[in-house]
Amino acid sequence: MTGTTHSDALISRRVRRLETLLEERGIVTGAAVDEAIDAFLTGASAAGGARVVARAWTDPGFRERLLADGTEAVTELGLSAGGVQPQRLRVVENTAGTHNIVVCTLCSCYPVRLLGPSPSWYKSEAYRSRVVREPRAVLAEFGLVLPPDVAVTVWDSTSETRYMVLPRRPAGTEHLDEPALASLVTRNALIGTAAL
Amino acid sequence: MTDDRYAPGARVRTVHHDPPHHTRLPRYARGKRGTVIEPEGRAPLADVRAQGRDDWPVEQVYAVRFAARDLWGEGEHHVVLDLFESYLEDDQP
Amino acid sequence: MARMNDVGGMQGFGPVDTTDDTAPFHADWEARVFALNGALIAQKVYNLDEFRDAVESMPPAEYLAASYYERWFFAIRTLLERKGVVAAGELDD
Repeated sequence: MTGTTHSDALISRRVRRLETLLEERGIVTGAAVDEAIDAFLTGASAAGGARVVARAWTDPGFRERLLADGTEAVTELGLSAGGVQPQRLRVVENTAGTHNIVVCTLCSCYPVRLLGPSPSWYKSEAYRSRVVREPRAVLAEFGLVLPPDVAVTVWDSTSETRYMVLPRRPAGTEHLDEPALASLVTRNALIGTAAL
Repeated sequence: MTDDRYAPGARVRTVHHDPPHHTRLPRYARGKRGTVIEPEGRAPLADVRAQGRDDWPVEQVYAVRFAARDLWGEGEHHVVLDLFESYLEDDQP
Repeated sequence: MARMNDVGGMQGFGPVDTTDDTAPFHADWEARVFALNGALIAQKVYNLDEFRDAVESMPPAEYLAASYYERWFFAIRTLLERKGVVAAGELDD
């Protein structure tokens, strides 16, 4: 969160008032609002994104379809990029020679359906302002120091495409099955601020 | 897709607009040279729709790749942005 | 005329607080604001681009001092007053 909420009681009262007015005017119902919050909180994890990655690591055909058309490929797992309006998903792959990082410099666009709610730092001015200009310095703050010969690409989500990183599969995981692999995948790795 | 103005690999320059309303072309990428990666699909032009008007044009959106050196005068990385067709012009060398 | 939201490349915000903050909401009102905005867009009271435009129209000093969902509430209120869904000052009770 940016800033401090020194007027929590005041805004809390105003939001309640707003909800009451909208209910009176037949625009929303309290039950629908509760339901929307519950639905959001229920999906509040990066489990979907992690499943996609584990499948891509173990199924070369799926990996190929995922990189060619992420929107379509994730429906094979019953997932979608989702959003308030139709969104396209593009999955970008890290390799030995390339590293990808995702940002939204204009607001806070993020593949919520696959990654859950975004972390506070993703919405912060510090991350949004700096990662397009000095990605290596920002990654170092996350504890990720890339070799100098790795090419870095930053994806700024300025339209309705949402980006997700396909991280590199860790060495020594050949014996693991798909669910075990999925459990290794972190949200930050899917944004590109961590490696696995 | 054949109606797209730019094909993958096309060299483009972003416009230098500075509108008093919402736009999806960030200030740091205005008037910059880049290369089209591929079309991303057509979408209502955000600049017009943000004004609450119903007459928004639907435009192709392109993923466009910029070298950090062209954006900031330094750096070895690349930045990719998704840009509406009307944000782009042919790059005249 | 770029607005305060358009921070790409801006300097001076300092290091990133990389704390892995997993709670999407820090108060009940934030969750209500989030869900009310979704409902208002779904009901076509306004669209997502108008919402973004309204967030960005917040005066820069206020914008930087406000928390994420305080900005959202500012935008919702701005749009509902502009569209006459609520009267100016009606939320101040």
